Amino acid sequence: MTGTLAMESEQAKYLEAAKEVVKREAFNMQRCLDKGQLMDGLRHATEMLNELRTSILMPKSYYELYMMVTMELTHLTMYMSAEFIKENKIADLYELVQHAGNIIPRLYLLITVGVVYIKSKECSRKDILQDLVEMCRGVQHPLRGLFLRNFLLTSTRDVLPDVDETSADTGTVDDSIDFILLNFSEMNKLWVRMQHQGHSRDRTKREQERLELKILVGTNLERLSRLEGVTVSKYQNHVLPAILKQLINCKDSIAQEYLMDCIIQVFPDEFHLKTLDIFLDTCCQPQGAVNVRNILISKIGRLSNYAQADPSNIPEDIKLFEIFSGKVTQIIQSRTEMPPEDILALQSALIKLALNVYPSETGYVDQVLQNSFNIFEEDKSRAKGCSTELSRMLRVPVDHYQDILTILQLEHFTPLFSFLDHRIRKELCVYIMEHVIQTDTYIDSHDQVDLFLTMMTCLISDQPDQPKEPEDPEDFELQQSLVGRAVHQMTSSVPDQQFLILNMCKKHLLNGGDKRIQYTLPSLVFRAMELCRVYFELKEEDEKWEKKVCKILQYINSLLSALVKAEYWDLALRLFLQSALICDLMGIQTAETIAYEFVSRAFAIYEEEVSDSKAQLVAISLIIATFERTINFSEENHEPLRSQCLRASSKLLKKPDQCRAVSLCAHIYWSGKNRENEGSAMRETKRVLDSMKKAVRISNQCMEPSVQVQLFVELLNKYIYFLDNGCTDVTQAMISQLVGKIRDDMPGLEASEATNQIVQHFNSTLAYIKSKHGMSFPTS
Amino acid sequence: MVLVLVIGDMHMPYRKAALPQKFKKLLVPGKIQHILCTGNLCLRETHDYLKNIASDVHIVRGDFDTNTSYPEQKVVTVGAFKIGLIHGHQVVPWGDHDAIATIRRQLDVDVMISGHTHKLEAYEKDGKFYINPGSVTGAYSALERDPVPAFILMDIQSNTLVTYVYSLANDEMEVKKIEFKKSVPEREE
Repeated sequence: MTGTLAMESEQAKYLEAAKEVVKREAFNMQRCLDKGQLMDGLRHATEMLNELRTSILMPKSYYELYMMVTMELTHLTMYMSAEFIKENKIADLYELVQHAGNIIPRLYLLITVGVVYIKSKECSRKDILQDLVEMCRGVQHPLRGLFLRNFLLTSTRDVLPDVDETSADTGTVDDSIDFILLNFSEMNKLWVRMQHQGHSRDRTKREQERLELKILVGTNLERLSRLEGVTVSKYQNHVLPAILKQLINCKDSIAQEYLMDCIIQVFPDEFHLKTLDIFLDTCCQPQGAVNVRNILISKIGRLSNYAQADPSNIPEDIKLFEIFSGKVTQIIQSRTEMPPEDILALQSALIKLALNVYPSETGYVDQVLQNSFNIFEEDKSRAKGCSTELSRMLRVPVDHYQDILTILQLEHFTPLFSFLDHRIRKELCVYIMEHVIQTDTYIDSHDQVDLFLTMMTCLISDQPDQPKEPEDPEDFELQQSLVGRAVHQMTSSVPDQQFLILNMCKKHLLNGGDKRIQYTLPSLVFRAMELCRVYFELKEEDEKWEKKVCKILQYINSLLSALVKAEYWDLALRLFLQSALICDLMGIQTAETIAYEFVSRAFAIYEEEVSDSKAQLVAISLIIATFERTINFSEENHEPLRSQCLRASSKLLKKPDQCRAVSLCAHIYWSGKNRENEGSAMRETKRVLDSMKKAVRISNQCMEPSVQVQLFVELLNKYIYFLDNGCTDVTQAMISQLVGKIRDDMPGLEASEATNQIVQHFNSTLAYIKSKHGMSFPTS
Repeated sequence: MVLVLVIGDMHMPYRKAALPQKFKKLLVPGKIQHILCTGNLCLRETHDYLKNIASDVHIVRGDFDTNTSYPEQKVVTVGAFKIGLIHGHQVVPWGDHDAIATIRRQLDVDVMISGHTHKLEAYEKDGKFYINPGSVTGAYSALERDPVPAFILMDIQSNTLVTYVYSLANDEMEVKKIEFKKSVPEREE
């Protein structure tokens, strides 16, 4: 670290010193030129250029100095253009500057004068250019040579012959091409030679320096691409082969990778299309240690964008995908040492090409997947440690299609999962499942559901390669809930198909084992209920609807039995009650039998498995509320069930619970319905009042005064409810009796927030009775 | 202006996969101050989702919620309004207006919110306001044929409560506005 810092400050010092000289000499040069003293001016220019002879400066500093010097040289150019062209002395000057003592100043001056000479049109442009590019060979020091040749290239920018030149004397575009190609190959040689100079321990540093200089070499290619005269055929027959030849011969991977990429970037798309074969063949040459991965990906990307911009850009006879796919396969097969991440990066690029350019050809994507599968299947060790990359590749079509159904058509998609580590496989499954939900895609046939759930196996059931230790419970719940949610995406609008789908789901999800089914099976139960309703609506059109409904109800029953077996009591109880409601809605004999069965199984769970007293009250309330909603039980079944409700309510352990549950039963006798009264409420006034009286009796036995008063107020409200609903047998006497009780007990209550609430509740009830029923109960 | 979101009965994963996209786009953080949720979220993630929309979230327990920390009922005061919240499976008969009115008297509130039936309702009765936001996912219900996804936004300004009822029939969003003024002087005594 200190070494680098010291070196950097050294560099800065050298650079400053050199810049001082340049500044001084440039000033002197300018002064002489102003006075018309050309020879003195040239002397100072030479002094200035001498600074570029240094070997001390690093590329960055050398570049800075070079920029400064070449900037000053433009003054010289301007002076010569103005003074000499009119006096025709430029040819002499071209000879004169060749006498400068040192080669660096000599060549810089020669180039400067040479360009002016060409512009004067007194000479053969072709000869001068050739002269200059040849003479630059005199500098073989890489850094100095590269910059010198860069100066040559940039100085001659405006004077190279292009399309509009046809005279052989002044040169044609072919001369320009040769000029640049020669300059390019010389520069590349210099650049490559840098690699082999100095100590081997400095290799990293040297490579860094080389990378800083790469653009100087690349500029040649960029200049070539700007020549309008470089047509597709010239490019194909002359330019590209020459460049590639240089690349192969230099045997330098940095040069190969950078310049290949350069070719891809600077030349137009249609050139690439025409030369795909020769370019790709070069990439594949086994002797080059070329990093094919990046080059190919860059090439595929370039042409893929071109095709996407306008599909007609690609002629019919050029099968982009097939060409690239063939080459990629060939390369992977020939380079057995290619790391798996490179293989996958190439395959991903092919998938993207197929998706972007041939969106309707899912077969192409599948072909890439198949190739990948074969490569890994042939040599499983090649798949080691690349789960992340493989998973990333598999996400490409998922993200692109935004449609799981298309993914399901890819035969070789799921098989690749077997090369993924368990963790990554699961993450991918979660990703796909979330994707299905987010895009709200429906998987609407049981075959597809089968494929989908097979793909998701990792989430659906235990896996042989899963970790021994149990998963984080929250993560597990999240994943399984995701499966439960995804069930709702497996939906067909055709009822019979939907039933097949439900059966397929059941087949897969039952493999989940006890810990998974609590999250997944309820979704199937509710989907099945919905389907019952669909058939119910269709009963006029589908004569087999009854049979079908019964099958669904049996299906529900089998799912609920699985939940019971796994001892999810609370969940099972609620699902039995929900299922009973849908059975009841069907209004058919067979369904009634099943509904009865469901309610009794809810009762059985309530009696045998719910032990917490609070949970008991909640459960019996749910049973009563559910039963109150049924409409199609025959009296034969209704009677035992309602008796059972009342019996269970009065058997609750705590008096307040008993009181509340029994008072709920009154609703069954009031608004409950059965088949015999054809949809109208039972209105069994006597039984309503019996239940209410029983509830009052129970609350009388309650030991806790404040709870007792609270129960009285609640019961008072229940009486009012029945009164509101037209139960005329609720008399003022009954109400005033309760009001009296409350008034008697109220003063004895301890002052507390709870008591305040009871008082408030009581007062607002009285106010309501007064306003609604005109009853008032003056205190005696 | 205080915006209160009334929402509930998501029933994920049991009955629905997700909230409708159109609702998700509306329900973003930074607009809503309070959330009153009628329960039956079922999924723990949904709680976090609500928390993300507004920091003040009140949830009561539905019959399919396994989270035992949710209370059966709750009273929340926003501005001049005392608001009662209950899921509604405890109210027999389910969804019965008179039965819900009984709970309202007990809680002594100006606005009574309940869910469970998956039937969207907003009505005035005996000078009090009653809201049922339905099911935001449009989840299956034995009590309601083809429930429509819905939720309610309440805009509370001093004595006025304006409700915006959002529903999604056939993926078409509909917004209805209902106003309720609190009769200040005559609270039942």
